[in-house]
Amino acid sequence: MGKQVIISIGREFGSGGHEIGEKLAERLGFKFYDRKMLDELAETKNISIEYLEKYDEKPKRWFGSRTVGAHTNSMEEIVAEMQFEYIQEKADSGESFVIVGRCSEAVLKGHEGLISIFILGNRQEKLERVKERYQLGDQEALAKMKRHDYKRKQYHNRHADGKWGDSRTYDLCINSSHLGVEKTVDILQKYVEERM
Amino acid sequence: MMAQVLAAVIFVAMFLLIVSDKIERHIVTLVCGLLTLVLVFGVAMQSMPAVIETLNVKSIFTLQFWYAAGSAEESTSGINWATIIFILGMMIMVEGMAKAGFFRWLCMKLAKAVNYKPIPLFVTFMIMSAILAMFIDSITVILFLAAVTVELAKLLKIDPVPMILSEIFCANLGGSATMCGDPPNIIIGTSLGYSFGDFLTNTGLMAGVSLILIIVYFYLVYRKELISENAMTVDASTMPDPKEAITDKKEFIISSIIFACAVVMLVTHAQTGLTVAFIGAVVAIVTLLTAGKYAVELLKKVDYKTVLFFIGLFVVVGGLEQTGILEIIAGFIGKVSGGNTILMLAIIIWVSAIASAFVDNIPFAATMIPVIKSLAMTQGVDLETLAWTLSMGTDIGGSATPIGASANVVGTSVAAKNGYIIGWGKYCKTAAPATIIVVAVSMVIIFVRYC
Repeated sequence: MGKQVIISIGREFGSGGHEIGEKLAERLGFKFYDRKMLDELAETKNISIEYLEKYDEKPKRWFGSRTVGAHTNSMEEIVAEMQFEYIQEKADSGESFVIVGRCSEAVLKGHEGLISIFILGNRQEKLERVKERYQLGDQEALAKMKRHDYKRKQYHNRHADGKWGDSRTYDLCINSSHLGVEKTVDILQKYVEERM
Repeated sequence: MMAQVLAAVIFVAMFLLIVSDKIERHIVTLVCGLLTLVLVFGVAMQSMPAVIETLNVKSIFTLQFWYAAGSAEESTSGINWATIIFILGMMIMVEGMAKAGFFRWLCMKLAKAVNYKPIPLFVTFMIMSAILAMFIDSITVILFLAAVTVELAKLLKIDPVPMILSEIFCANLGGSATMCGDPPNIIIGTSLGYSFGDFLTNTGLMAGVSLILIIVYFYLVYRKELISENAMTVDASTMPDPKEAITDKKEFIISSIIFACAVVMLVTHAQTGLTVAFIGAVVAIVTLLTAGKYAVELLKKVDYKTVLFFIGLFVVVGGLEQTGILEIIAGFIGKVSGGNTILMLAIIIWVSAIASAFVDNIPFAATMIPVIKSLAMTQGVDLETLAWTLSMGTDIGGSATPIGASANVVGTSVAAKNGYIIGWGKYCKTAAPATIIVVAVSMVIIFVRYC
């Protein structure tokens, strides 16, 4: 096995970050982890997948749960902790992989093989992408974008020291709107190969 | 007037911030406590005596703080140092017991004694939860009990949720039985000068009667699951050996002796004159001395955040007390009840229970103590009766929802981490009616016995 590389991808909603991560993993021959890690967690923990998906990458609600020392009964926090443990286990196993979201750059901070990337996009391009993907009108697509980005930001900043989308939090930030998905993947692949 | 408004605003802000759970609660109370000292006492009241009285440091250096002949202990306002020292001492002792494997051993031993049969296990763990919670904090009780329950449930192939929910309820119920079981009781006891025996013969009686009813209630509620599971037979030799839980035999024996001595000192403290602050300090010192090189490790494990939370909280409540707001609230309760004692007690127990179901019962109880003191003085109601009413309302009310008490949070958290999700619906379906039953039974006992 070669040197372990873990590529953590943070992304704005509609930036194509997920697709970029998936393609990058495919080209490098790495495993790709995203929301689907919940399937595995659901199976090992014997919890319904719908339940886990409901709380995936969501910030804790302002009422309805409490924290006592290291214990919390907030489902958002419990699902987040389960995923953090999962990510940590994958990293400890020595395999190389690409992971999207889930504060992975913070969870694996200090890990030798970690490369953290944040993918952003121009508002118009992101909007078009969301409209097409979810078959929505302008207003709905914009509202969806805002809602998701707000939740991602809240979720990230609750669990990580660095701020979501702040260039100082990542090794590389790239605007996918200028080059499109494929060329952005090209650039990122070159960058990763240089670091390998 | 300005001081009253400031004190009230700080208090409400503190409560909202605690409920929102965005900032750690000890930071919330410490910042609000500091604001009380600066804005309420400094800027608005310009009263140094109010600051000194609230910080209450002088009380620690009095003989009465450590040794009180008769039953009267500390009854000053401001930071309740007796509560803080006692809680700190018990935390150190409990850490020592946990390290030696005491709790896991006890759980495994009892499970073995009932041959791992679900119904006897269910009842035994409920009783054990209640008894342990009479002397040590419910968080520790549930932390170990829930973990062992999940472990046993996996081996026995049963659903641990009914057991965990009933254990949580019984831990809160057991905590209400004694002065040291639940933080509101420690604060009530040390603030109003009641002894362990006073609690045991009053709230203890109510908790005892309620425990019998609650065991029957949970059995009826969960009997279907339990009866079907009961058909399974288990080979006891394949189960974990209780002895394996003991990490160090010498430490185990020492921590068990310290625990037994703490129980004896607590039960007899009204007779010996030793205050709870003294008992807390002694058990902490003895635990640390006997821990040898592990003393530093034990000290590091202590939950200092809770201690800081208490300090900040007492200062904020001291602000309400010094500005006379709590007397206004007491006057309001007196007015609403129209001097009718029964109505007043009913209001206190149900309002305390409902409030404690949704917000932390510690700040609520700390705030209500000066209120009931004022009610006793102005309305002529027996202070003891009010104290037991407040105690049962705050201690039991916390059982109704997953966020009402610390044990609920820890129990549901341990269950969820092991894949057993207990949401609000699942939790409240059985716990809320059980809470209503116990509060109603306690109210009837209070009416019959004291009115």
